[in-house]
Amino acid sequence: MEGVAMKLPSFKSLAPNAISIGHRSFSRVRRSSSLSVFSAASSSATVATSSESVSLGHRVRKDFRILHQEVNGSKLVYLDSAATSQKPSVVLEALQNYYEFYNSNVHRGIHYLSAKATDEFELARKKVARFINASDSKEIVFTRNATEAINLVAYSWGLLNLKPGDEVSLTVAEHHSCIVPWQLVSEKTGAVLKYVMLNEDEVPDVDKLREMISPKTKLVAVHHVSNVLASCLPIEEIVVCAHNVGAKVLVDACQSVPHMVVDVQKLNADFLVASSHKMCGPTGIGFLYGKSDLLQSMPPFLGGGEMISDVFLDHSTYAEPPSRFEAGTPAIGEAIALGAAIDYLSEIGMPKIHEYEVELGKYLYGKLSALPDVRIYGPRPSESVHRGALCSFNVEGLHPTDLATFLDQQHGVAIRSGHHCAQPLHRYLGVNASARASLYFYNTKEDVDSFVVALADTVSFFNSFK
Amino acid sequence: MNTSSSFKVFASPPLIFSSRPPKSASQNPRFSYQLPRSCPKSIRCMRDSVNLRSSPNAPSALSFATVEAPLGTKTSDKLRILVSEFRSLTEPIDRVKRLLNYAADLAPLDDTARVSANRVTGCTTQVWLEIKMDEFGRMRFKADSDSEISKGFCSCLIWILDGAKPEEVMGLRSEDLSEMNVGVHGKEQSRVNTWQNVLMSMQKRTMSLVDADVAHRGGERPPHHHKHDLLFKYVNGSYMESSKVHHDYSISLLPLYYDFTI
Repeated sequence: MEGVAMKLPSFKSLAPNAISIGHRSFSRVRRSSSLSVFSAASSSATVATSSESVSLGHRVRKDFRILHQEVNGSKLVYLDSAATSQKPSVVLEALQNYYEFYNSNVHRGIHYLSAKATDEFELARKKVARFINASDSKEIVFTRNATEAINLVAYSWGLLNLKPGDEVSLTVAEHHSCIVPWQLVSEKTGAVLKYVMLNEDEVPDVDKLREMISPKTKLVAVHHVSNVLASCLPIEEIVVCAHNVGAKVLVDACQSVPHMVVDVQKLNADFLVASSHKMCGPTGIGFLYGKSDLLQSMPPFLGGGEMISDVFLDHSTYAEPPSRFEAGTPAIGEAIALGAAIDYLSEIGMPKIHEYEVELGKYLYGKLSALPDVRIYGPRPSESVHRGALCSFNVEGLHPTDLATFLDQQHGVAIRSGHHCAQPLHRYLGVNASARASLYFYNTKEDVDSFVVALADTVSFFNSFK
Repeated sequence: MNTSSSFKVFASPPLIFSSRPPKSASQNPRFSYQLPRSCPKSIRCMRDSVNLRSSPNAPSALSFATVEAPLGTKTSDKLRILVSEFRSLTEPIDRVKRLLNYAADLAPLDDTARVSANRVTGCTTQVWLEIKMDEFGRMRFKADSDSEISKGFCSCLIWILDGAKPEEVMGLRSEDLSEMNVGVHGKEQSRVNTWQNVLMSMQKRTMSLVDADVAHRGGERPPHHHKHDLLFKYVNGSYMESSKVHHDYSISLLPLYYDFTI
């Protein structure tokens, strides 16, 4: 299974001219195909197989208006997609479309607008399910973001299932969102958190993790791709180990779902979380994938409308998943726009995106490591080790914040500096902060070149002050 | 290298330009990496010129800034001078360079002071702040950071506030410093907004030193403390003015003008 979602039929828009700008074949095809299902590979002529000489990054750039601007007198070079991605115009149009033509509350009304909004919202859920190959769209719970999704599992599944002495296995490289909720819940339940450190390749030590998993382990919560180290964990293996002892596995797929094919059937994870804003979708929406029987067994997280079945003064009964975990009015437009983002990514094809990023990531790593005094964290790329398309690094004698400030002020290059919500990892590596340049499929070799030139200039600038 | 050692005690006075700095190669990224070769020299020239001027011919002019509690140089005046200096630097890169200059002039902090109790919380960079009250009841500050730009910020803040009375420290608001924001275009409080975090730390710790001082003296409140109570209350982690106070920002005559042409 290629991991490319089929475009599912959508109802005719109220106003056929709603999608006004950028008459790419993509949007035209969408409007006229209201009753047929399209295979993504054959639809858009703009990106698929037209000209191999023009790279993917160059081809898609026109879809991202935000990238065509100057900051501080220089062309913007956006290298912070691991923090949040940019959105193609189709996603923005989908959001605009929703508010302009069929905004209405979902699952509640019976009038036309409400029915349409509900259909589009549920269609978005189906698209997410299809994108990660979930067996049923009911296994997709919409949340505000991945952080909320992890908290949902922690408070709903965790509080019920973790007993004193139970162990939760994590790695030292986890994002704070996959550490703090477990800390909060372990305080309440008496469970114990165990962390696996890095090995000599600077990736979490999977052998040690295997040893750590014991009958006491109830949950293994790990990232798929690290937002600092760019390493990729062998989730399938980890899941096998965990299931052998009856433990569940939660996968933080924030840095993997946007960049490669993620198939939850293959991974066989119990829970998987991701955020829309890292995958060309809007902020304010993310999702939790949970196996049906697991979600069925979980009590509610937030209480309110939508997640109930019947409400009495002294008690209430609850809805089936996923509604059980979606209290209140959801981010309807945002979910629909996420669906549009998934369509956009699927049209290009996740394997193609991944292939492009592996190459560009290697290029970035190569150029960066060639600079003197630069220390890149994480594993070296090789035949067997494919890094994510990002590099966290430090320059000897130069604080990453100073570096990032100068890059921005003088060169318009946007990178991130700080601890990237991974303080334990930085402490383990013995640094307070690092700089991070992260790529997405709309970046080009020229972006990497500009960055490296700018970085060299920055280093010599600060050296001149010493 | 700064030859005037007295500067080390109280950060250097600001350099004020009467003419705008030229729009040099900083505009064109293609030439930017040639910039370091020319720029640092001119910056060093500026610093050397300062030192030249600080030597025998005009000792009184510059010793003005180095003397303890110079008469008439109120915190508000110093703030005004610094703000106007930064305002004259329209290119953000020039502000970075100016801050780096100030960073170099910051008095070194003892290793013994780099403890977690002295860490300024909420910053992405590490900042240590040492604060004392001297025998005249004035606040004395020393700071350091692992980031040169943060050091520059600290240097400016310390130039304004070192030797100030507690109420002057409390009277400085982060909005007053927004002109000097470098690289952080937003004015909101966030982890990258070093100004706000360091200032808040200075103010919080000033208050505790004042309270400790009061307690030490057996509860007898010095006169300025009453005024202080009326002026401020601690709300949500920051000091807010609770009554309208007219801040006098008029500049008194200070021989701290430097005329440079690059």
